[in-house]
Amino acid sequence: MKRTKFFTVIATAVVLVSCGGGNDKPGKIYMPDMTYSRAVETYALLDSTKYTNDPAQIGEKIFYNSKPVIGTMSTSDLPPYTLSDDSAGYAQSAMVKNPLPPLDGKDSAEASRLFNINCAICHGAEGKANGPLATSGKVGGIVNLTLDQYVKLADGTMYHSINYGKNNMGSYASQLSSKQRWQIIQYVRMLQPKATATEAAATTTAPAADSSAAAKKTK
Amino acid sequence: MSRYRKILKTAFASLLLIALVSFSNNVLAADGEALYKANCASCHKPDEDGTGPMLKGSRKREPNPEWAYKWVNNTTAMVETDPYAKALKAKYNNVIMSKFDLPKEDIKAILDWADAYTPPPPPGGGGAAGAPAEDNSLLFGILTLILALVALILLQVNSSLRKLSDEKDGVLRAEPVPFYKNKVYLMTGVIALFCFGGYKTINAAIGLGRMKNYQPQQPIYYSHKVHAGTNQINCLYCHSGAQDSKYSNIPSVNVCMNCHKAVKEYKGVDVLVREDGTPVNGTAEIQKLYSYAGWNPVTRTYDKPGTPIEWVKIHNLPDHVYFNHSQHIKVGKQNCQTCHGPIQEMGEVKQFSDLSMGWCINCHRESKVDFYNKETGEGNKFYSIYEKFHNDIKNGKMDSVTVEKIGGTECQKCHY
Repeated sequence: MKRTKFFTVIATAVVLVSCGGGNDKPGKIYMPDMTYSRAVETYALLDSTKYTNDPAQIGEKIFYNSKPVIGTMSTSDLPPYTLSDDSAGYAQSAMVKNPLPPLDGKDSAEASRLFNINCAICHGAEGKANGPLATSGKVGGIVNLTLDQYVKLADGTMYHSINYGKNNMGSYASQLSSKQRWQIIQYVRMLQPKATATEAAATTTAPAADSSAAAKKTK
Repeated sequence: MSRYRKILKTAFASLLLIALVSFSNNVLAADGEALYKANCASCHKPDEDGTGPMLKGSRKREPNPEWAYKWVNNTTAMVETDPYAKALKAKYNNVIMSKFDLPKEDIKAILDWADAYTPPPPPGGGGAAGAPAEDNSLLFGILTLILALVALILLQVNSSLRKLSDEKDGVLRAEPVPFYKNKVYLMTGVIALFCFGGYKTINAAIGLGRMKNYQPQQPIYYSHKVHAGTNQINCLYCHSGAQDSKYSNIPSVNVCMNCHKAVKEYKGVDVLVREDGTPVNGTAEIQKLYSYAGWNPVTRTYDKPGTPIEWVKIHNLPDHVYFNHSQHIKVGKQNCQTCHGPIQEMGEVKQFSDLSMGWCINCHRESKVDFYNKETGEGNKFYSIYEKFHNDIKNGKMDSVTVEKIGGTECQKCHY
């Protein structure tokens, strides 16, 4: 009798210890409905019997694709950029003016922070194409923003390139708001050599001519 | 004597000449590289096709060795007339190279440098993988076992010796009770088991619903060690939503493609292994990304419809808890690592903190807010309304304000 009790205790202890399990499962929970939200939360999988993201099924199911309605804009952001992602849009972009007032102290600190997070990884903290990914040779074709041809590049063209991406660079429209993109351009102007930066504000020449002029300068 | 001097002179002169020649060669090579970086690097790579064709061996591929010199100075006109230029334009998605007014010797220096270019070896070398950390627990286990065995033998010897001496002296003792019938032993055992079992039961009950160390396998082996550690990419580059919203967003595929348009294969120094020890082929994982993105690395276009990557969510808070990332990062100025641990050293991410309420509260008790200093104007101006604390600081009653002091441990701050 005593012996059976003794073994029961041991068996219980073993069962309790073995409840641990591996790390690739989330483990046990008390109440699944409480732990895993039933509300429509970011990244939550929607019930496919009730919701759809296919416009053809509107009427049968609730349509939800988490995208803004076409033609609407955020009240906290600047008006949308309308030029198209092609060579014609690129040429016209030089005419677009930076809508923001000059950076004040707080804004320039914010622009510097954003530049260091999003751009400095390739372009370098000073814009001299010496970021960690550039010096390690992992990403090629990184532009040195302090070169004359980029000093002369119009604000609008720079915005066009950030908005749609250019060559190896991707679009940053999903990571930065329009205002932040313009702020970063203003910050790039602060990194660039001063004497020529003032000229840049006036010039709106086509980029091809710019690069040839830059080539002459670098000689 | 004079003969030796003559020999010495000749030797010195020739050395000087050799040095001069090699030095001037270096100057030329450096010039080519500098010119390349200033003018060509944004589109061309020396040994690989990028936005434009690779420069290495370009003069051999082109119709004649002089072609490149004409082309660089006259791209816009030549692209309409020259058949080779037309073919190039068609191959590289109708992107026309900008015209550069470089003299022939500069172009030659660039192309000579590209022809002689060899990619720099990866730093550290491939074979220098760190030896796995020695696991001492086995050694200690064996030692403990041996010591326990020795103790048992000694006890046995002791009891035998006592029996012998008892027989010799003629002392009569009662037959010893076997240990499994000894009440003291049994009771000690039962109490020990009760304590151990109780401890384990309570811990398991508390642990229900907590997911510390949860480390699921993700659809793509994404190493934070490589990206955030070695490559020093800021957390907010990919998780840009963490500073603006409740959620720290999982980056969409286009954010991955910002860099992986250029990074086609894994050549890094870090050895990629899963937690269970299976090696990971980094290049194959990048190919998986391309198939999700619908990207064709050969034509450099998105030629298939993309599909989102269904990453497995690791950190989960119950429905009845409100947590806001931007509040902690922007206002509280916390580092990601405070809660997520040394993410930059993790191959596969695991949950570092248990995300329990006690853990939240502890941090709120210890963390100081960026309290507004009325004299210097430093700190967060929001806190200017806390009159009592301002007076207490002035009178030296307190030196800093914790989150708890401004109501950071009230129930309704997180549960509502």
